[in-house]
Amino acid sequence: MIKFSRVFKVYEKNIQALTDINFEVAKGEFVFLTGPSGAGKTTILKLLYREETPDMGSIIVDDTDISRLSSGKVPFYRRGIGFVFQDFKLIFERSIYENLALPLEITGAPSKFIRHTVMESLEKIGLAGRENHNPWHISGGEKQKVAIARALIMSPPVLLADEPTGNLDEASAGEIMKMFKDANAKGTTVLMASHNKEIISNSGFRAVRLRGGRVEE
Amino acid sequence: MRLFREVVLNFKRSGFMSFVSIGTIILAVTMLGGFYIMQTVVNFAADQMQNRVEAVVFIKDGASAEEIKLLGDEITALSGVKEARYISKDDAYQDFAKDPEMQKILSSFEGNPLPDSISVKFNDYKAQEINSAVAAIKTKMAVEDVEYGAAEIEHLLNVINAVKYIAGAAGIIFVIAALLVVSNIIKLTIYNRRQDIYVLKMVGATGADIRLPFIFEGIAHGFLGGFLGWLILYAVVSFLAFQVKKETGIDLAAFYAFNPALLSPKFIFGMTGAGIVLGLTGSLMSQGRIFK
Repeated sequence: MIKFSRVFKVYEKNIQALTDINFEVAKGEFVFLTGPSGAGKTTILKLLYREETPDMGSIIVDDTDISRLSSGKVPFYRRGIGFVFQDFKLIFERSIYENLALPLEITGAPSKFIRHTVMESLEKIGLAGRENHNPWHISGGEKQKVAIARALIMSPPVLLADEPTGNLDEASAGEIMKMFKDANAKGTTVLMASHNKEIISNSGFRAVRLRGGRVEE
Repeated sequence: MRLFREVVLNFKRSGFMSFVSIGTIILAVTMLGGFYIMQTVVNFAADQMQNRVEAVVFIKDGASAEEIKLLGDEITALSGVKEARYISKDDAYQDFAKDPEMQKILSSFEGNPLPDSISVKFNDYKAQEINSAVAAIKTKMAVEDVEYGAAEIEHLLNVINAVKYIAGAAGIIFVIAALLVVSNIIKLTIYNRRQDIYVLKMVGATGADIRLPFIFEGIAHGFLGGFLGWLILYAVVSFLAFQVKKETGIDLAAFYAFNPALLSPKFIFGMTGAGIVLGLTGSLMSQGRIFK
């Protein structure tokens, strides 16, 4: 599903972010990216999201080398990928409903379908009846639930997450992890950056360890 | 539908900045519209004045009818002369006598003190042409003198032209200022919304999905600014005309016919259209590398 082959990335001022990265994630697999800050976890996710392009190497997602994707195709590629950020990245001038509806609206889905899908999703995350609230007015755990629901609303085959539990208390983190596991159980490939050793070891999933921009053997 | 909601949302969020942007467009469009109206009035006034530009050639006493006829033909042949009309001293007397005041003055003379004359009208108001024509007429044998109020009219036309140029320059400056203000305000809006734009990109929005709301926002500012500008200009001109009428009794609106010009669909669409062009250009100018 995802395959990094000999990927190098240098940021400006010769900061070597990634050196010779090679790893694979199979379809339907749940894999952690772990390592200390600055190890290159976020860079790998940014490459997968096509926010950055590698200086060398290939990144295959679903048989497509996304490092060679033309910029016009990038938005359509992104519609097949869900992304969850540590800081939620919700739009605070919009209601919870509008935040969830955004990815669907962009695809031009009919409003009836949008309404049905969003309400169903709100039901799942236990926020039914609060769709018109502003994201300011819900807890951090709830904000992250909305963010995950938004990432999953298009039923993407791949779900990426950058420290999604980093800003949350233990109980909320547990609920969030359950959402990811549920999504994975339904067939979504999950790649999650985290340095929470407890979460990783409790999950029983494989981890790709990074240090100084290299994969640790 | 989504586009419309996005534009409304942007408006709500950047209330004060939208206000500044629309206000600047109003200023620019009002300047342009005002300039156009002024141009209409000034051209009208200049036309009126030019029609009245006239030289009067006084003929020496004792000139024969043949000499006068020859002089008339010579004047008509000069370049720039529209017509030369002979006015006999009797005709002049009768004309003057229509005014009771003048009649009093004339009756104090013995006989008719007025000379024969030729009234000369010119095609265009070109000071140089008229001056050389007048100089040429003065050299003719039968001519006593030529009377011509060139200096005042020339001065007035110069002032009118200067005002036209100044207003034109001010209009251009305001248009440039409006473009800069609109584009910078939309730039600021885009900057303020960079997180939203990032989220939109991350969920797969295309460049057009992201840009169009800002472009339409510019168009909306332009439309409102243009139309409000027209409304304000109409109100100001009407108020001024009303005040002039109240104070002096002169109906400027009827005289200069600028009311129909202000109310014509061409003018309203022109001003609104100018606003839209300003808003659109401003928002296009603001869309640079922000979206890369």
